[in-house]
Amino acid sequence: MPPTPSALEGLVVPYLQRQPWFLVDMARYDRAAWATFRLADLEIVLDGRPGMASVVVAVGERRFHVLVGWREPALAPAVIGDHQGAVLGMCDDGLGDVLCYNALADEELSTGLLAVASAGRESARRVRLVQSLVSHASLVYDERLLMKSYRVLEPAPRPEIELMSKLDEVGFKHLLRPVAHWERNGWDLALVREYIPSAVEGRLLALTSLRDLLGRNVDEERPRLDEVGGAGGDLSSEMRRLGEITGSLHLALAEAFGVRTLAAGETPTAVAIRVHGDYHLRRVFRTDTGWVVAGFGDDPLIGRSADKLKGREPRFASPLEDLADLSYSLRQMAAEAVAAQPAVTCAQAERLAKSWERRNRGAFLSGYLRVEGIDALMKLDRSAVAEAIKSLVAERAVTAA
Amino acid sequence: MASSSRPGLDDVRWYERAVFYELLPRGFFDSNADGIGDFAGLREKLEYLQWLGVDCVWLLPFYPSPLYDGGYDISDFLTVAPELGSIDDLAAVVEDAHRRGIRIISDLVMNHTSDEHPWFVESRSSRDNEKADWYVWADDDRGFAEVRVIFCDVEPSNWTFDQSRQQYYWHRFFHQQPDLNYENPEVANAMLGVVRFWLDLGIDGFRLDAVPYLYKAEGTLCENLPATHKLLRRIRAEIDADYPNRILLAEVNQWPDVVTEYFGDGDECHMCFNFPLMPRMFMAVRREQRFPITEILTQTPPIPDGCQWGIFLRNHDELTLEMVTDEERDYMYSEYAHDPRMRRNLGIRRRLAPLVDNDRRVAELLYGLLLSLPGSPVLYYGDELLMGDNIYLGDRDAVRTPMQWSPDRNAGFSRADFAQLYLPPLMDPVHGYQTVNVEAERRDPSSFLHWMRRMLAVRHQYPQFATGSLEVLPADNPSVLAYVRQARAGEDLAGEPSAVLCVSNLSRFAQPAELSLGRWEGCTPIELSGRVPFPPVSSAPYSVTLASHGFYWFELVER
Repeated sequence: MPPTPSALEGLVVPYLQRQPWFLVDMARYDRAAWATFRLADLEIVLDGRPGMASVVVAVGERRFHVLVGWREPALAPAVIGDHQGAVLGMCDDGLGDVLCYNALADEELSTGLLAVASAGRESARRVRLVQSLVSHASLVYDERLLMKSYRVLEPAPRPEIELMSKLDEVGFKHLLRPVAHWERNGWDLALVREYIPSAVEGRLLALTSLRDLLGRNVDEERPRLDEVGGAGGDLSSEMRRLGEITGSLHLALAEAFGVRTLAAGETPTAVAIRVHGDYHLRRVFRTDTGWVVAGFGDDPLIGRSADKLKGREPRFASPLEDLADLSYSLRQMAAEAVAAQPAVTCAQAERLAKSWERRNRGAFLSGYLRVEGIDALMKLDRSAVAEAIKSLVAERAVTAA
Repeated sequence: MASSSRPGLDDVRWYERAVFYELLPRGFFDSNADGIGDFAGLREKLEYLQWLGVDCVWLLPFYPSPLYDGGYDISDFLTVAPELGSIDDLAAVVEDAHRRGIRIISDLVMNHTSDEHPWFVESRSSRDNEKADWYVWADDDRGFAEVRVIFCDVEPSNWTFDQSRQQYYWHRFFHQQPDLNYENPEVANAMLGVVRFWLDLGIDGFRLDAVPYLYKAEGTLCENLPATHKLLRRIRAEIDADYPNRILLAEVNQWPDVVTEYFGDGDECHMCFNFPLMPRMFMAVRREQRFPITEILTQTPPIPDGCQWGIFLRNHDELTLEMVTDEERDYMYSEYAHDPRMRRNLGIRRRLAPLVDNDRRVAELLYGLLLSLPGSPVLYYGDELLMGDNIYLGDRDAVRTPMQWSPDRNAGFSRADFAQLYLPPLMDPVHGYQTVNVEAERRDPSSFLHWMRRMLAVRHQYPQFATGSLEVLPADNPSVLAYVRQARAGEDLAGEPSAVLCVSNLSRFAQPAELSLGRWEGCTPIELSGRVPFPPVSSAPYSVTLASHGFYWFELVER
């Protein structure tokens, strides 16, 4: 017999109130919203000892998901180890006391979760917790699958899941393929997708390239583009390939969700498509076989997504928006690299970084525009596209400031 | 420590573990002061190759030749060029080398002959002589129109008009090198006769030059045709039947999936060169990230049992950029061949040391990769000294200057007058023989030469490097390349564990990396050159710190 719902609620609510990710998410809401905690949904996914429950708590309009595990009090500490913050407290499961804790701290329970989330289709021998963000925690199974266990819930279909499934359906290959998702009562609880261990965030490649460039002794007042290209760590060919992938991503999105006409006054392209919406160098990964789009997530800690994506309709916009997002991300990388330089070399580093940004933005765009069929989405000529991107990037910079 | 796994002479699969050393007989050592290296000279220097740790010497063409193409234009297959000595001299080299545990393989050019070869002289003399169709003749130059021109710098077409026969003949390389016509069975028989001749003399195998082009067919690219593979299987079958322990090493400058066809089902070539890997090692170091290497490793299919890759950094040809994309080629040109003189056809004619700006750490890193990636390493003579090149010499002579033995006259290579030398030795202040030579580097324990010798010895101690499986490990840092070479079942040396971990920093800045070594939890990594134990592997990611262009080889030992 598992712990009762009220016992679990009594443990989960104070636990939730201690969690940084919960506090970050709720910080955007009025204090009044905090008053109404209630147990919205509960499923015992593993009955017994150890046991596990999936608990959804409603706080105002928001839904939060906590996976609660329990064991005999004597056995639990060995499993939780250093994760002291994972403890929820004691309760009775009908056979006596059990210690309840965050189930993701327990390898055995986390491993079992994969079967739950994939309706029994997947299993694994090893699991490791790789990331804890506001919106979700990521677990890697056997270095082959990654599960995003959502903490802050959204009504199904969560845009990320919808986009990935549809792209997979229309045969878009450059994607970390979705394998399963876990949904209950209209809310998405977890997504399982392919995991490629050798993949490296685009951001790290960009920083590698910048490190090489800024590590050079260039005395030139105004470095020329080809000199930036002369740096060994030149990123432009990678950016060209990323541009190609992005072009085929947009074509696939257009195929999956259709094409609309842009409202007057919007960015000057002829069509609107369902865009990625949060496209930056942390969302794309370089693998041994090329670039893949890794995620369509929405987490306030990464990217500039938080408010933009909140409570929105499926977002149809000009494909230029994604291009601008990625280009802006190049600028952010350049700024990050410059900031890491000693103050004395900053001025020169800035000049170099600017040229680097320009060169790679251009390469990205070239790759994008050479994708066959892209003219159906992008009716402007290259210079007009480049100009439009530049002004959108500037807009993002202003908003960020 | 493991005992040495140097292949013995009775080892049928010796080539899987051998370190090859490619040398130009005319450029190695001149024993008779005529300005040209020779076999008697090579014989004197076998002691050096044994000391270095070489298992097999690959001799560049030593046949009589007008030398339009570095000896690859052969005018007689059944003897040696008189300036190099006699057949007996070569036989003495083979015998001596075998006594020292070194094998000798030679270049064999099956695709074409010199236009001075008696076969061609006869063939061109009329349209109805006995050898009239030993070459590919046509009345016009419109055939095989889709075929690319390989020496595109100098040859406008693959067809050349012959005045005497009033017909065009086909050639994939220089027009002085007419292609043989294998549609005529007599040609294949004659070539098999050549193969038997040299194997009977004791030669341990052949490096097969330009194999993909043997057969031609209209409407194809005249490369990799099924008939070519059939001929190779026939040669292999004859070798297996009558000459065990001898090998065929194919030069197939193509993409990995095409190259692997030359292994057949283990019934064609024993070895093939891995051309696409080579430029990508340079590219990875220049870009300071591992993807150029891991990408090509991913595309390389597995090869049959008993087959092995030949891998190299540099050789007697240009650093070929045929097996890269246009974009990658532009990149390589801009990074490694600033001066147009450094370029040739689709490649860069430079030796290793100038390619890496004479940076010893980069050279060590590149050799660290070469000696630990799957395949048998092939060293190019002089590169163990970090010898330079002379880009002011024509064609590929830039990288074929005399071996630098000592600071004496003519680099100790020859006692002839300087003007008599086949090519001048390097005398520039950076790579000149006054500073870069065997004598100086043998005397200096911290020289590159000694470093190389130590690394070869370490490699020989661990069969994993030669025949182990390869698993690239994920690393969070893109500048770090990590992989594990795991011995195949039954190949563990007694009492030794079976995995070697190689971690390289492709960047010129120091780098940290975290590796997922979960499978080896509890093992202690022991650094191979100094046997220093590192902290044991736990369930957490394993942290390694690497110096600029640094690399480590670890044995993963269960404790």
